[in-house]
Amino acid sequence: MEVNIIKENGSTTVKLEGRLDTPAAIEVSKAIEPVLAPEIAGGVIILECQDMSYISSSGLRIFLTIRKASSAAGGKVIVRHISKDILQVFMMTGFLNLFQIEDAE
Amino acid sequence: MVKEQFKQIRKFVGTGFGLVFVASVTIAASSLIQYMYSARGLREEATKIAEGELKSNRLEIMNIIDLAQSAVKNNVSVAASLLDYPEYLLKIPSLLLAKNPDVAGSTLAFVPDCGIKVYDKAPYAFRDGEGNIQTISLDTESYDYTSKDWFIEGTKRLSGYWTEPYVDEGGGEFAMLTFSMPVKDKDGKTVAVLTADISLEWLTGVIGQVDGYPNAYSTLTSGAGIVMVSPIKSMEMKTHLSEVSKYVEDPENFSAMAEKMLAGESGSAVLKQKNGNIIVYYAPVERTGWIMGIVVPEKDIFKGLNKLKAIVATLQILGMLMILLILAYVAREQIRFKKVNDNKLKMEQDLHIASTIQMSMLPKTFPPFPDRHDIDMSASIVPAKEVGGDLYDFFIRDEKLYFCIGDVSGKGVPAALVMAMTRSMFRTVAAQHIPLKKIVETINDAMAQGNDVNMFVTFFYGILDMQTGEFQFCNAGHNAPLLLSDKIRVLPVESNIALGLFEGFEFKTQSTRLHYDDALFLYTDGVTEAENEQKELFGEKRMDAVLHTRRTAEEHLATMQKAISDFVGEAPQSDDITMLFIHYLGCREVSITFDNQIAQLEALPGFVEDACSKFGIEDKAAGINLALEEALANVMLYAYPEGTTGTVTLKARGMEGGMEFILSDEGKPFDPTAAPEADISMDVDERPIGGLGIFLVRQIMDSVSYEYRDGHNVLTMIINK
Repeated sequence: MEVNIIKENGSTTVKLEGRLDTPAAIEVSKAIEPVLAPEIAGGVIILECQDMSYISSSGLRIFLTIRKASSAAGGKVIVRHISKDILQVFMMTGFLNLFQIEDAE
Repeated sequence: MVKEQFKQIRKFVGTGFGLVFVASVTIAASSLIQYMYSARGLREEATKIAEGELKSNRLEIMNIIDLAQSAVKNNVSVAASLLDYPEYLLKIPSLLLAKNPDVAGSTLAFVPDCGIKVYDKAPYAFRDGEGNIQTISLDTESYDYTSKDWFIEGTKRLSGYWTEPYVDEGGGEFAMLTFSMPVKDKDGKTVAVLTADISLEWLTGVIGQVDGYPNAYSTLTSGAGIVMVSPIKSMEMKTHLSEVSKYVEDPENFSAMAEKMLAGESGSAVLKQKNGNIIVYYAPVERTGWIMGIVVPEKDIFKGLNKLKAIVATLQILGMLMILLILAYVAREQIRFKKVNDNKLKMEQDLHIASTIQMSMLPKTFPPFPDRHDIDMSASIVPAKEVGGDLYDFFIRDEKLYFCIGDVSGKGVPAALVMAMTRSMFRTVAAQHIPLKKIVETINDAMAQGNDVNMFVTFFYGILDMQTGEFQFCNAGHNAPLLLSDKIRVLPVESNIALGLFEGFEFKTQSTRLHYDDALFLYTDGVTEAENEQKELFGEKRMDAVLHTRRTAEEHLATMQKAISDFVGEAPQSDDITMLFIHYLGCREVSITFDNQIAQLEALPGFVEDACSKFGIEDKAAGINLALEEALANVMLYAYPEGTTGTVTLKARGMEGGMEFILSDEGKPFDPTAAPEADISMDVDERPIGGLGIFLVRQIMDSVSYEYRDGHNVLTMIINK
């Protein structure tokens, strides 16, 4: 699992690549810590999921953690390019209502 | 008057016999006298006899050659299969002697530094004065077998090598000829040479006397021109044919003849002698390069001439009798010839019938178990033109599938008989409820005991428990079957040795487990070694290519057979092609065990993918994977106290309309189904971070139930197709 954080024009893009399963979630939660800081969370955070093939509940926790930090700092979270399988998981768990979803496949 | 007589004669010749008779009398009266009693006729007669003698002697020699060659060839393949069993290897020479009474001696001489550990590098078996087989070692300082012609050439000549005749000093101590052939290991490296000695003295005895001429005799010269058999014993094994002219009365004609003999021609020559000429008839002996000679004194040929001259008056009668005899002889010959032909035809028919009976003993109805859903199997055998010795067989007893495939060495009636014997033993011994090892050893011992012809069977014996997939097998020198699971691989087998070679051999048996949807493909080398007109082999790659596509067992075999036929084209089939395909569809259960370490979850996706494709539920694999990961992570993280190791086992089972997953662990009792439902309608600030795992399991699976049983948490999840 790879995580890349790119800041540009006041927005922050978090690129997630690979399987966000339980073993991977431990590392990923560390990697996204900088994003939780109010100065970033207060802006626009784009979660780029083009190359993310899978998500488990521990991955969802990370998404929710980011969403909560954003909400507290008055920011906005956009989830981009999630796959059909992940979209289903979002539906099941009510995450569709919590995130702004763009360009789902 | 004249008219009347003419009528009578016409009446007489009206019958077939009369015609022949009259013709005989008139023609024979003149020509036979000339033919039979002229010197030329007698000489022709002598030529015929000599040629007949040459031919029969040559056949006799060829027969001996063949026997020795096939004894060596058979045992070379035996030796090659025994390279891992040195204690048996050393017995091969005495075994070869015991089974081939015409062979005088035999050795298995190892190439120095061949890497095979034996305590004797060259055991030599021979017959002592009383005909008992003794073994000595040729690996002595004074003998140095590696410098001998039979060893040096024997390591190089793939199809074997006949030495020149020689007296083996320090070895057999008698005049002999040796046939030697290399023994190669799996990599094709020559590791030893196996030989058979033919005693020259014995060969002389076989050639024997010339019928009808009391003073005639046979001679034999080697391909290199050394006199092997001669009336002058002192020349034998020493003198070159071209030097013999020094000792004869007509050196000029002898030299001319010797030249032709050495050039491989056949013919005859007259040698002048003081007390009557002699005629030498000569011809080469096929394959050996030897030259056979028959020497007949003219005295013998013409001895009756003068006497016959005196009784010219009776010539007519004799002539008539002669032609009648010839007629009778011809008639008898024709009847005999027809009989021989009939016999041959009958034998061929018998063979065909035998082969049909033999084939009909093998199970032929496919699918063989139409009522069973846990197995799909098929078998086929395409015999070569000559009756061969391939076999397969199978049956189910007590919910166990017993099956075998085998290939008898050699062809023809003996192979067919051994095949029939093997097959009936497969059935009878299996009926005795004894362990597999004992079954195979019982068959081997029984076959080795009565095995006078040195035949053996490569054999694979398997027992598959239909309920559990437990698969026991024993491979007796047969090519390893293929195991078709997630990919095609060769079933790792102990090679052991072929059946029928050594009584008391201890066979190693093995076992593994077949899973639902695994398949076995067993075959004989007729498949991989099918040859096209360019002499290329069908080979393993082409075989694997056919097996890569999913098909029913019957389709697999039909497709393979077609692929072979297409490849082989017009080339004749040299070996039986036998195949057995077993597709196991029982025990629809797979399982995996994890330690309570999150990192081990990495093995889960592969397991889920396999299980889902096995049970035909691929489209739900992603969801199943997620649910199982959540359930497993839950156990790994919370079931066992921190810092302790525990395990959790996941079983996946195919069932009608879906799949069942059972998770069990020995951690503290915890019922995940009792956890409160997550409220997914909550707003982001109110939603708790956790609690989604179990929720996902319930969402994805169609039924989730929990039970604490025998110290285990057992979570059963069912998903429908």
